[in-house]
Amino acid sequence: MRRPTKEEGLWLVPLIIVILLWEIIAGYVIKDALILPRFSAVIFSIYMLRELLILDILVSILHFGIGMTLAFSVALPLAIAMGWFRNVFRAVDPIIEIVRPIPPLAWIPLAIVWIGLNHYAAGFIIFIGAFFPILINSYTGFRDVPRVLVETGNVLGCIGNIKLIRYVALPYALPSIATGTRVGMGVGWMCVVAAEMFGVGNSGLGYRLFQKFYFLHQMDYVVAYMLILGVLALCLDRLFRHLVEDKLFRWKKGIVK
Amino acid sequence: MEKRTMVSLIVIGVIAVTVMIVGCIEDETTEMTTINIGYQPSTHQIAAMLASEKGWWEEDLAKFGIEKVVMKEFPSGPPEMHAMLAGDLDVAYVGTAPPIAAMYEGLDAKIVAGAQTQGSALVISPELADEYESVGVQSLKGKKIATFPPGSIQHTVLSKWLLDNGIDPETDVDIKAMGPSDAATAIGAKTVDAVFLPSPTPTIIEEEGNGVIVAWSGSISPNHACCCVVASGTMMQEHPDIVKQIIKTHIRATEYEIAHPEEAAEIYAKWLDADVSTIKQSINVTDMHWIHDPSIEVESGLEYAKVIYELNRERYEEKGIEVLEEEDIFDTSFYDEVMEER
Amino acid sequence: MNHKLKLHSVTKAFQSEEGGIKALEDINLEVKPNEFLCIIGPSGCGKTTLLRMIAGLDYPSSGEIILDGDRVSGPSPDRGMVFQEFSLFPWRTVLKNIEFGLQIRGMEDKERREIAKRYLEFVGLQDFGNSYPYELSGGMKQRVAIARALATEPSVLLMDEPFGSVDAQTRNVLQEELLEIWKRTKKTILFVTHSVDEAVYLADRVVVMSARPGRIIACMDIGIPRPRKRTSVEANAIREQLLMLLGSKRQE
Repeated sequence: MRRPTKEEGLWLVPLIIVILLWEIIAGYVIKDALILPRFSAVIFSIYMLRELLILDILVSILHFGIGMTLAFSVALPLAIAMGWFRNVFRAVDPIIEIVRPIPPLAWIPLAIVWIGLNHYAAGFIIFIGAFFPILINSYTGFRDVPRVLVETGNVLGCIGNIKLIRYVALPYALPSIATGTRVGMGVGWMCVVAAEMFGVGNSGLGYRLFQKFYFLHQMDYVVAYMLILGVLALCLDRLFRHLVEDKLFRWKKGIVK
Repeated sequence: MEKRTMVSLIVIGVIAVTVMIVGCIEDETTEMTTINIGYQPSTHQIAAMLASEKGWWEEDLAKFGIEKVVMKEFPSGPPEMHAMLAGDLDVAYVGTAPPIAAMYEGLDAKIVAGAQTQGSALVISPELADEYESVGVQSLKGKKIATFPPGSIQHTVLSKWLLDNGIDPETDVDIKAMGPSDAATAIGAKTVDAVFLPSPTPTIIEEEGNGVIVAWSGSISPNHACCCVVASGTMMQEHPDIVKQIIKTHIRATEYEIAHPEEAAEIYAKWLDADVSTIKQSINVTDMHWIHDPSIEVESGLEYAKVIYELNRERYEEKGIEVLEEEDIFDTSFYDEVMEER
Repeated sequence: MNHKLKLHSVTKAFQSEEGGIKALEDINLEVKPNEFLCIIGPSGCGKTTLLRMIAGLDYPSSGEIILDGDRVSGPSPDRGMVFQEFSLFPWRTVLKNIEFGLQIRGMEDKERREIAKRYLEFVGLQDFGNSYPYELSGGMKQRVAIARALATEPSVLLMDEPFGSVDAQTRNVLQEELLEIWKRTKKTILFVTHSVDEAVYLADRVVVMSARPGRIIACMDIGIPRPRKRTSVEANAIREQLLMLLGSKRQE
C-alpha cells in the first residue's frame, strides 16, 4: 500500500521550510542578531554551551521530577476519593475550582516566602501546574466507571469500596490517569522555566536563560535555550507515550476504533 | 489534500510571513515629538525625577518640538538596557556597567554625562552581622546574596570584590539576581542572607530591622563610577541639539539636588511612595556623590569593560569582539561643549 | 420438595418526582432446582428489577427472597448474573475475565487458570484465551460472560436478556449452546427476555408478568420435550397463548 509510507516523513517538510525561512529572514531581512538570531548561530550556540547545557538540563529535569512526583502522589488519592464518593466530590470540588484558575506563576512569591529560594520552591510551582490536570482527568475516569462493570464486579464477589476501586475502578480509570499525567507534564514543564526564572536555584534552563543570558542581552543563547526547552518537552512527552500509553491504551484503542 | 493545493498554500504562507516581517522593520524617520527617558528607583538618580517633577524636561525640550516626555522606570540596569536595545529608550539614567555589557552585544549608544559615584551598600541579616564583624568578607562564603543582575554595577563591583579576596562568585557564594524591592523582601523573609544594593534600599532595610549595613561600596572600590546618562546612537546622530539640552537640564538638576538634599529626598519619597524620613536618613548616611562630569567615570568604566569581558571571554573571543576602549564607551564632546558655553 | 428459590410477597416501590411508583406488587414464586425458568412481560413491567433483587443488586420494599433456605441480602457469586452487554472488563483478556471471580475469592494463580481454561472450552472459545474483549464479536463476548459467571459455580444463574444485543442467527446458536451448558451443569436458570419465541424454545416454565405495577399473571409449563422445534405445532400453540396473555393484560 502506498499511503502509509508517504505519510511517514510528512512532518519533515514543514519543519525544513520553517528552518529555511528562519535562516533567510534572520540573515538577510532583519540582519540584527539582537532581534532575531540566525538558526545557524543558534545551533552553534548550542555547541558552544554544551557543558553548561548538560548541567542545566539535569537540574531542570530534577525540578520537573520533584514537581511531577508530588503532583501525582497528591492528585491520585484525591481523585479516587472525589471520583468514587459523590459526597467527597461535592465537598471538595468548589475549593478546587477556585484554586485551579490561579496561574502557577502567581504562586511564585508565596513559594519563595514559604519554601525559600531553592530546588523545592521550583518543584512546588511545577506541582501546582501539573496537579490540576492530573486530578481532573483522573477523577473523571473514576466517576465514569460504567455501572454495569461495577455490578458485574459485585455479582462476582467483588464487594466493598476498596475491592471495587482496586479491581474495577482503577483499571478502568488508568487511561484517564495517563492522559491527565501527560497533560500535567506539559503544563509542568512550562512551569519549569517560570519557576527557575525567579532564581530559585543556580542552574537550570530557565534560570540560565533569564538570569544570565537575558540580562547580558545574549539573544542567540536565549533562543538556543528556548529550542532546547521545546525539544526536551517533546522528548519527555514521546517517552511517556511510549512507555505508558502504548501499553495501557491497547484495550482503549479497541473501544475507540 | 491535493499536492498542488498544498504547495500553493505554502507559497502564499511564506510570502505573507515575509511581507509581515519586512513591514514591521521599516524604518521611519519622522519628526521626533516624544522622548523616552529611562531611570531606576534609586536615590542615585534623583536628578531625573527632580527634573521631571519640576517640569524642566518638558520646558527645556519644547523648543525642539518635543511634546511629550515619558519617564520609564526599571528595577535595574540590565532590563533598562534591554529596552534601549529594542529602541524603546532614547536616554537612560543607568549604572555605567549595564550599557557597557549591552555595547558588547551591539548597543549603539554612548555615555554622555556622569550622574553619581559609589552609593551601594552590603547589608547583612542581623544574625549574621557579628560573623561579618569578626571574619570580614570571608564570612560571605556559602551565603546567599541578592544583588542586581549580571551586567549591573552592583553585580560587577561585588564580583570583583569577591574575586580580589579569593572567593569565586560562581561557586563559593550563591548570588541571586533580583530587583531592589524583591531583594528587600527576600532579606526580610530570610530567603537570602545578605544584599548588595544601591541607596536608598540599604537604609530602608535597616530601618525595618531586617538587616545591618556593614560596608559601603566606596570602601570596597573607592570612587567607583555608578550611575551615568546614556544617549542612544540615533539621538546623538539625528538630534545632537536635544542631547546637549538634556545634559544642560541634567546639570541643572544635579546642582539643585546637591544644594537642596532635603527637597530631593521629598521628591524621591513622593515618586516612589517611600517614607520621607527614611529617605532623608539614607541620603545622610550614603557615601554617594552626585556628579555630572563624565570624565570622572572613565577610569571605572574601562575597569568594568575589562571585568565584563573576562566574565564572558569565551563568547566574545569566538565572536571576535574585543575589549571596549574609551571611544567605544564615552562621548564627552556634548558635555564639553555645554561646559564651554557656560 | 425443597425449592431452590422462593419469593414471598415481594413488593418494590420507588420514590420519584411524581410520588411513589410501585414497580412490583406482591410477587410470589417458587423455583425448583435445575429448573429453566423464563420471565416475560411488557417493557417496564419490572422483570429486570425482579432479577436484580434476586441477584442482590437491589432490595425489596417488603417481602423475602430465599435461596437454599437463606435470605438474600446483597450480591454474591453464589447468584451469578449475565448482563445484556458491555459487562466484560475491557482491560482484561478473555481468560483473565473468566478468572475474575476466582481471583477475588483468593484462589491461586495456577488453579484459577486451569478452571478458567475449562470453562473457556465449555463455551467453545479455547483459541481466544489471550484476546481482548474488543477483538471479539457480540456473540463471543456473551459466551465469555456466561463462562465467567459459571466459573464461580453459582447456585443459580440469572440472565437479563443476555442475547438481546446479538443478531438473530447468533441468537439461535447461543440459545442452543446455553441449553447444552444447562444440560451439563444442571444449573437453575432464571432467564428474563422480551422474546416469547425465546421463552418457548428454552424454558421449562414461563412466568408472564403484567405491565406496571408488575404482577405475575400466569405461570405456564411448556411441557414440550427437548430438543424442541421452534416452529412445531405445540410450540406455536403455546406461543399464541402467551401472546394472548400479554396482549390482554395490556388492554386492561
